[in-house]
Amino acid sequence: MGKPPTQVLVVDDEEDLELLVRQKFRRRIRDGDLRFLFAHNGKEALEVLEEHPDVYLVLSDINMPVMDGLTLLSQLADGEQDIQAVIVSAYGDMKNIRTAMNRGAFDFLTKPIDFNDLEATIEKGLKHVQALQSALETRDRLVAVKQELDMARDVQMSLQPKEIPDSETHDIKAVILPAREVGGDLYDFFHIDESRIALVIADVSGKGVPAALFTTVTRALLRATSSKDYSTPAECLTRVNELLCESNPSCIFITLFFGVLDLRNGELHYSNAGHNPPRLLQADSQVEVVPKTRNIVLGIQPGHTYNNDQIQLRPGDTLFLYTDGITEAENFQDEEFTESRLDEKLAGLAGASAERVATEIVDAVQEFVGDAPQSDDITCVVARFRPDPS
Amino acid sequence: MEEKAKLSVEAEQGDKATILIVTGRVDGSSVGILESAVQEQINAGNKTLVFDFQDLSYISSAGLRALLIAARLTQKEGGKALFCALADHIAEIFEISGFNEILDIRATRADALGAV
Repeated sequence: MGKPPTQVLVVDDEEDLELLVRQKFRRRIRDGDLRFLFAHNGKEALEVLEEHPDVYLVLSDINMPVMDGLTLLSQLADGEQDIQAVIVSAYGDMKNIRTAMNRGAFDFLTKPIDFNDLEATIEKGLKHVQALQSALETRDRLVAVKQELDMARDVQMSLQPKEIPDSETHDIKAVILPAREVGGDLYDFFHIDESRIALVIADVSGKGVPAALFTTVTRALLRATSSKDYSTPAECLTRVNELLCESNPSCIFITLFFGVLDLRNGELHYSNAGHNPPRLLQADSQVEVVPKTRNIVLGIQPGHTYNNDQIQLRPGDTLFLYTDGITEAENFQDEEFTESRLDEKLAGLAGASAERVATEIVDAVQEFVGDAPQSDDITCVVARFRPDPS
Repeated sequence: MEEKAKLSVEAEQGDKATILIVTGRVDGSSVGILESAVQEQINAGNKTLVFDFQDLSYISSAGLRALLIAARLTQKEGGKALFCALADHIAEIFEISGFNEILDIRATRADALGAV
């Protein structure tokens, strides 16, 4: 099936333009490539256009009864459709031609009409209309894609965990400032049982919808594997990794820190799958790096057995989990926030509530970055341990 | 925003391997340059690639993914990919992510070529 013919409206109160067009384009009319519609004044033209919303090119005389060509042009300019008009006027009628061009005419022809010029002008007009149409379609498609991406981000954000209420033994606060594009970071926290809380932070390679999907799947798998028969963080990661590797042809991977804090004694059992090591902010302002475990990122190495590690939190100690959106945040001078700035800032926040630590660090990053564009998600999870003094 | 040429990849044909000299930053916006350079070599039938990272200043997770794909592609063709001359801060990225366990990393270009 061919395309429907491209339609052109010819407006003239005399017969000669119509005859000329029918004669000149007879072959293309017969081939079903072009179709001409005719009107005898501006008013009729508007009626035809009303009936045929798929006409985007108009060839119009200026002097006509009822409604002249210049008035028609103004009406077209006010209409919603993007219709291109070619004006036909007497040779030397520069005043009207100028007026027509100023009212948005695409081009003009002078009478007596030159055959070749007529054909070339219509051809040019059609090309222009086509380019315009395809630009509009592209724009519409882009708008649709952007809406879908925004929706994906909303879904992803809505999956972040609900707040865990502060208690006598701990307070937890997470902050995520998503970059413009969907994707990136993940955090989570949830109770393994009454006395143990899981803390998760992760960063997926790449951005966009594939990355967002991978993140969402990882989060669901981790929750599922650690709610049923939980043994150790490493065991969970080993299982999650296996499942992620099963179908990951595009080699997306995720760096992830998974810690489980025992609120009874302050022990943190953890396994770190290639993620930036968190910080332990001690009550006495010491900032320690949570030692790395020799592991690899999740999703690319089936059969890998993840290792556990363990540190001890003392009353008043705070854990700070973050993604490189914090340490690699750049200002306009291309300087990064860096780990040393992070550690320095953390040291001044010993003993503060989780909420205050999270807010102040993110504020410090934003102040450092200024108005430079944010290219990556900025995420942190803060947990303060403060057991019952009794 | 100003546009900086932040990444270049230059290919040198050796006897047993193609050396790809990677200069600058590999991140989400420049990783395409690295990916097409690798694809170009694979298409040309060069299946043993040595990545010289002496002048690599930064690599993001998107960049690491491209290296992983390069390793898989060369392997599939019966060749391999080696990575050499990592600056300390790049080596640290490889170590934290565990990529030093899954990619073949050598200290110098000579070491890498010796292992081809």
